[in-house]
Amino acid sequence: MNRLWVLGIAGLLTAQGWVTADPPVPVEPPRNPYAADEWKLPAAQPSVKAGPGAGLVIANCAQCHSLDYITTQPPLTRAQWTAGIEKMRGRFGATTPTNLVPNLADYLTSAYGKP
Amino acid sequence: MGVSTGRSAPIARLSRRRFFGTAGVLALGVPLRGRPADTATVTLPFANGERPLVKYPQKRPLIRLTARPPQLETPFAVFNESLLTPNDAFFVRYHLTHAPPPPEWLQADRFRLAVSGTVRAPLTLSLEELKARFPPVETVAVLQCSGNSRGFFEPRVAGGQLGHGAMGCARWRGVRLADVLEAAGVEPGAAQVVFNGLDNPLMPATPDFIKAIEFDLATSPDLLLAFDMNGEALPWLNGYPLRLVVPGYYGTYWVKQVHEIRVVDAAFQGFWMNPGYRIPDDPCAAVAPGTTPKRTVPITRMNVRSFLTSLTDASTVRAGTPVPIRGIAFDGGHGIREVVVSDDGGRHWHAAELGPSLGDYAFREWTFSWTPPRTGRVTLMSRATNRLGQSQPLEPLWNPAGYMRNCVEPVTVTVA
Repeated sequence: MNRLWVLGIAGLLTAQGWVTADPPVPVEPPRNPYAADEWKLPAAQPSVKAGPGAGLVIANCAQCHSLDYITTQPPLTRAQWTAGIEKMRGRFGATTPTNLVPNLADYLTSAYGKP
Repeated sequence: MGVSTGRSAPIARLSRRRFFGTAGVLALGVPLRGRPADTATVTLPFANGERPLVKYPQKRPLIRLTARPPQLETPFAVFNESLLTPNDAFFVRYHLTHAPPPPEWLQADRFRLAVSGTVRAPLTLSLEELKARFPPVETVAVLQCSGNSRGFFEPRVAGGQLGHGAMGCARWRGVRLADVLEAAGVEPGAAQVVFNGLDNPLMPATPDFIKAIEFDLATSPDLLLAFDMNGEALPWLNGYPLRLVVPGYYGTYWVKQVHEIRVVDAAFQGFWMNPGYRIPDDPCAAVAPGTTPKRTVPITRMNVRSFLTSLTDASTVRAGTPVPIRGIAFDGGHGIREVVVSDDGGRHWHAAELGPSLGDYAFREWTFSWTPPRTGRVTLMSRATNRLGQSQPLEPLWNPAGYMRNCVEPVTVTVA
């Protein structure tokens, strides 16, 4: 009776992790370190200045990336903006058709360009 | 085809819509309104440098460069608070539309690391299996974006317009990449090891973010597959649950949410290795401003940098009274040998005292007792030298991608 009682206590202690003579589990159990509400990104997204062509830029650029990719650039020349658009088309697979490139470059140069 | 062609995981597509459901309006090309009027902003000291401070998961408000994918910069004052950059202040840089990967892909029952390619025994490991099978290792190392400080380039270059906050130093805990490769049994003739993370592009033709390192580097004991950062699990935006740690190398190689490792017998030529992340093939990684390099090579190891962190251009100090000043220095892993300080435009330099070393890959603290010599605006400069004798140029160098800025960064204070 006594012996069983002692074994019972020992078992309880082991189960609680208080007896660690021979730790059998070297691996942490799988767990998610963050609460469910810590996996939400801010929803609000930046936009671009209003003006002729702004809608075209939104429609062609904002699918893949937020518009602060545009608005945080330093003032760029029309040639630099055009090179940027062509990089998106040529390297990054943007489906913007060729005939829209001048319209996009016009807006970007007027809103975020330098002479 | 795994790493060599492509997209991240077969598990990838199904839950993307749900994950991005809250941002679904973006897919229609109608972004939501800009920041609320009460959002705090900071202005980085170059043209068009105003940025919002935005709170992200597991982060304090950080300087937001871009929202989707997220690019967040550490406010510079953080570098004066501690040598290890706190996880909640550590910078964030993703490349692709679907980043960070959705949380449901990262759970313990779902996340797997696959090792394949020219190996005898391909592996598929859960995070728990990885931790159980290989001994844990810790290292303190600086993680710095290739384009850190790009906003200071003159003439300005297109790209992420960062101040100095796309860097940080952390204690990384993980397992050695070399141990994992050894367990997979690499066949003779391996040339490179290729890494893919769970971030994904939107357009089918957009190149997935895949990086390669030389096989010799991959077998270095310094490289880790890390799961902890400063004693806690990696933040989601810094790669939870697993990222590559390549001490001494620019952050572009530190692939986040890494889930595919492939050993290859020829140089990998994906977009993000070529033409992405290339520097002029020149010891200084520089060309004449405004010109194009004739030959380029992949960016690799970081150059020497130092910063004064305890004073800013807005600081006021008293003439004739000693001021303890402090800063940080680091390089690509050779170790900092010396930091010197000047308050007369570089005519005279005075040795600063180096703090205890946390390792050759870590931020090294320097301190100096400075007595402001006169009233008015006085410019302070710090300049570090590493154990190879490499140092910092007084004037900035230039390259078209805006990488590897490492010139002396002056701070001009008011002496009253």
